[in-house]
Amino acid sequence: MAAGKRLLLGDDQPSIGEALIKAMDMSPADVVFEVRESDIRGRGGAGFPTGIKWNLAGAASGDHKMVICNADEGEPGTFKDRVLIEKMAWKLLEGMTIAGYAIGSSHGIIYLRAEYPYLVPILEKARQDLISQGLLGDDIQGRGFSFNIEIRSGAGAYVCGEETSLIESLEGKRGEPRNKPPFPVNSGYLARPTVVNNVETFAAVPHILLGGAEWYQGLGRDDCSGTKLFSISGDVENPGVYELPMGAALRELLELSGAKDIAAVQVGGASGSTVTPDELDKPMSFSALPPGGSVVVFNSSRDMLDVLENFMEFFVHESCGQCTPCREGNRRLLDIIRSIRAGEIASRDDLKPFFLLADVMKAGSKCGLGQTSPNCFVDIITKFIAFPGDKEGA
Amino acid sequence: MSRTPEEIVRASLEKHGSGREAVMEILTDVNRELGCIPEEAIIATASAVGVSNAEIYSVVSFYSFFSIKPRGRHIVRLCSTISCVMSGSAEVLEAVRDDLGIREGETTSDGRITLETTSCIGLCDQAPAMLVNDEPHTRLTPETARAIIAGLE
Amino acid sequence: MPNISVTINGITTSVREGVTVLEACELAGVEIPTLCYHPDLSLAGNCRMCLVEVEGWRTLAIACVTPVTPNMVIHTHSKKVRKARRTVLKLLLANHNVNCPECERNRNCELQELSEKHNITTNEYQTTPKPVSVEEVSPGVMRDNSRCIMCTRCVRTCEELQSVAVIKPVGRSAEIKISTFMDRGLDGVACAQCGQCINRCPTGALFETSEVRQIWEALEDPEKFVVVQTAPAVRVGIAEALGLPTGRSTGQMVASIRGLGFDRVLDTDFSADLTIIEEGHELIGRLGQALQAGDPNVHLPMITSCSPGWIKFIEHKYPHLLSNLSTCKSPQQMFGALVKTYLAEKEGIDPANIISVSIMPCTAKKYEKERPEMNASGYKDVDYVLTTRELASMIEEAGIDFEHIAEEKFDRWMGHSTGAGVIFGATGGVMEAALRTAYEVVTGHEIPFEGLNVTPVRGIEGIKEAAITMPDRMADGFEFLAGVTLKVAVAHGLSNAERLMKKVSAGEADYHFIEIMACPGGCLGGGGQPIPTSPEIRRKRAEAIYAEDAALHFRKSHANPEIQLLYAEYLEKPLGHKSHELLHTTYTPRKD
Repeated sequence: MAAGKRLLLGDDQPSIGEALIKAMDMSPADVVFEVRESDIRGRGGAGFPTGIKWNLAGAASGDHKMVICNADEGEPGTFKDRVLIEKMAWKLLEGMTIAGYAIGSSHGIIYLRAEYPYLVPILEKARQDLISQGLLGDDIQGRGFSFNIEIRSGAGAYVCGEETSLIESLEGKRGEPRNKPPFPVNSGYLARPTVVNNVETFAAVPHILLGGAEWYQGLGRDDCSGTKLFSISGDVENPGVYELPMGAALRELLELSGAKDIAAVQVGGASGSTVTPDELDKPMSFSALPPGGSVVVFNSSRDMLDVLENFMEFFVHESCGQCTPCREGNRRLLDIIRSIRAGEIASRDDLKPFFLLADVMKAGSKCGLGQTSPNCFVDIITKFIAFPGDKEGA
Repeated sequence: MSRTPEEIVRASLEKHGSGREAVMEILTDVNRELGCIPEEAIIATASAVGVSNAEIYSVVSFYSFFSIKPRGRHIVRLCSTISCVMSGSAEVLEAVRDDLGIREGETTSDGRITLETTSCIGLCDQAPAMLVNDEPHTRLTPETARAIIAGLE
Repeated sequence: MPNISVTINGITTSVREGVTVLEACELAGVEIPTLCYHPDLSLAGNCRMCLVEVEGWRTLAIACVTPVTPNMVIHTHSKKVRKARRTVLKLLLANHNVNCPECERNRNCELQELSEKHNITTNEYQTTPKPVSVEEVSPGVMRDNSRCIMCTRCVRTCEELQSVAVIKPVGRSAEIKISTFMDRGLDGVACAQCGQCINRCPTGALFETSEVRQIWEALEDPEKFVVVQTAPAVRVGIAEALGLPTGRSTGQMVASIRGLGFDRVLDTDFSADLTIIEEGHELIGRLGQALQAGDPNVHLPMITSCSPGWIKFIEHKYPHLLSNLSTCKSPQQMFGALVKTYLAEKEGIDPANIISVSIMPCTAKKYEKERPEMNASGYKDVDYVLTTRELASMIEEAGIDFEHIAEEKFDRWMGHSTGAGVIFGATGGVMEAALRTAYEVVTGHEIPFEGLNVTPVRGIEGIKEAAITMPDRMADGFEFLAGVTLKVAVAHGLSNAERLMKKVSAGEADYHFIEIMACPGGCLGGGGQPIPTSPEIRRKRAEAIYAEDAALHFRKSHANPEIQLLYAEYLEKPLGHKSHELLHTTYTPRKD
């Protein structure tokens, strides 16, 4: 995709408020319909279809519906939302406002991670600008639709990126995930019907409204729709945020960023997949290689056991501690990683109980954290670590 | 003149209301101004929003950025997640530790600086990175990190 | 809700829509292991023990919170489920302080039972056990976090049932633990000492502060005259604690206790009756001041003071209502004050050599006896308190065959029971006993309920209300009550108590008399009673209590011949000088 064609971060941007005014010319149901037809799926990582979420929240009974922006990007290696807010905060706010119009909500909250305090003034300014232009606040453009946005801070907890934890945190509680059902679309913040979407998802909404669902769909590749921001770091010449069609091959991104001597790539952050150089042509799509927001490249000088230990330390630190598989499981995985490092594990067979543990964590943890934290263990041990007892060619 | 924990809570309540959902905002205000959340602030917050002291204590203890323990005037948070580690954050940490004579989680005896390590702070493209209070500092080397910290009053 | 069809382990069955998978399985006779689930509490879904496989689901479902949906296909012991459950158990055991013989809950531990059922003999995840931690010490309740599995049943009990909320998860991830504000320990915070958390702990992380050792020593000391009182709820709980069905077992209990070597086995029912006399007159007095003298400063509603957990709660949370409390000591402490005075005289024993023990369904009683004001006899009025569970352990240690032992009776002077005293063990019982006596005192007639059963104040409802209109003709001196409608309320469980107190504080309640018991179901559901507990178990204990009441010859406190003798020979009259000295007390406002 040529630089000028980039949507989310390109130079060629729609004028502020254009999409919102277009949306307000449509019925709320038509706006939801357009978003649904665009096939956009959540840009935070889980990939739930945004239009379906909006539809459910719009149809849910209950007053004071809420639009919440998940700006708690905490997945290791992810910084796309930071860049998006630094450059185009208005677009996020406009996307939220359109969501508010679509589901019948007049109240939005941005939950910004504590690690980004320097973005607060930027968001605040964008908010004030929109209010002064009559694009946010009471009676927007004299259309009788009001929408206000609050900016609130987290306090350092990765698990709050999980939407029900985020809601708990906003309610002034420990960021522990809730049992589902009920889902936030029916009972979210203060038990109100609530839509929670990622920064990037909201930022894409004005483009969908202006370009139309069909156009947006056409931007994607493989079975995906739209474009996607990728944060890339690690052993690359030009780390940063790149915008590519959703579903683009991993190799394309690696080439753009100048990755060389690639030994392994972590796609989708610590909770994502670790791929080998043989897998670089896989599309970064929800079905093949779910990308989240993060790609980290490792060259041949890196010890993947170091990487794994770092990831697992992260999960041990960030588990909320509520459910057994995640609280205890991550710690046991970290223990065994350290045993491998100490040379105490002779053969892959000795790790069987820990692969079983990984399966149980995936199937039995309460939220996405514990369900995905064993991925790196399975991938890295399976693909990158040799044991003295391994058979030739294993 | 610095404000007491109770005064900060009171001022915060005026801004954010006394609903349970104001708790994070109140605690953030206290934590930012005092570098920690002292017992008095927890008691004041609990009574304002109508929950037990234990409940607010439990909330405070959940979040990495909140601290019950008093901290230094400046809080240095060095990222310890993968991209920063790959770019040399361990060397930076060692340099800072040596310079300050403290380990992570500790505060210098003059109360100037608290050193912490943190999970990914989203500055992986400019690694290694750290936050000094609310300010990000990026592409650190042991030398630049030392200089930044030396410049803190 | 309509019925829907679900398939459990290949068998299709019809269940009401809206029930959980756990409930559906229960109805179908399929057992699902649980740990964090408790029938008295909200659903947490955090232990992940009740995982089941639902066809079409990516992950396993937790049975306790997942509602059934039409045509759901559930497998409860597939390979995947079995592996998951075994893994969860192993993870919980991996750092658990598995020193079962040392544990209060050995042989009555849900974790132990599940490990046995799932045949966990080796653990691939074994790691260093959490260190023993008994930093949380208090007069009634202790916590050892090395046995904690983070199910949060205690946390939910403390908040949901008791509105106390002093224990919470602190920290996160592997560092998480249950703790108190600033880790001060249960003794440093507004813990009511009710012990309800103990009753709902699946393991031995919570237990009573034991005094069994001291009691054996006293029994073995020939110099000591060891007197024991037994609370009403103990006689309907002790059988359960010994593995027998719930039921009345007063005679066996008395015989077993005597078998342990106590010098006198007496009955707290006696002092329950005494409480009724004193408290009834106190109420009539307050009503007289208010209705006859028109004194606006009379503290009404008057609130009962038998439940020490409740007393500690109100001292912390509603100190401005302390004047509404009856000044009567609890039956335990009235008894204690009389043991080293009246009984000592009667038996001709030097009170300095008396060891006064009480057996209670309660952990707060252990706290109560330590209150500094509880030494009206010139000695510590009650030296040691045992819970029902601790008594059971002593009976077992002594090898007494509780089931088959010949029934015996209480000793005299302070051993006579009336039905009114017995029902103190159930919510509404103090109220009913008080009404039986007070009505008769002021009207000269028995209370007009069939069989003296004041049914409106019985039952499991959290807050019960009743109104009793006095007749036009009253006994001499009580004419001011003629035609007055006496309004009463009863609450059990501190959350219900709190609801009532909010109404009283706000001036929205026009009750004259309120009974509060700290524990759900009243003392029969006390923190010292056998584990487990559930609404069903408490219902059975209540049945036993009311059966005991019905079976006794005397049903009214003022009819108790030993009470009559006590007043005639010692106290002279209700609310008299001696009563005030021995039987009444004061309260202390405490910080939250």
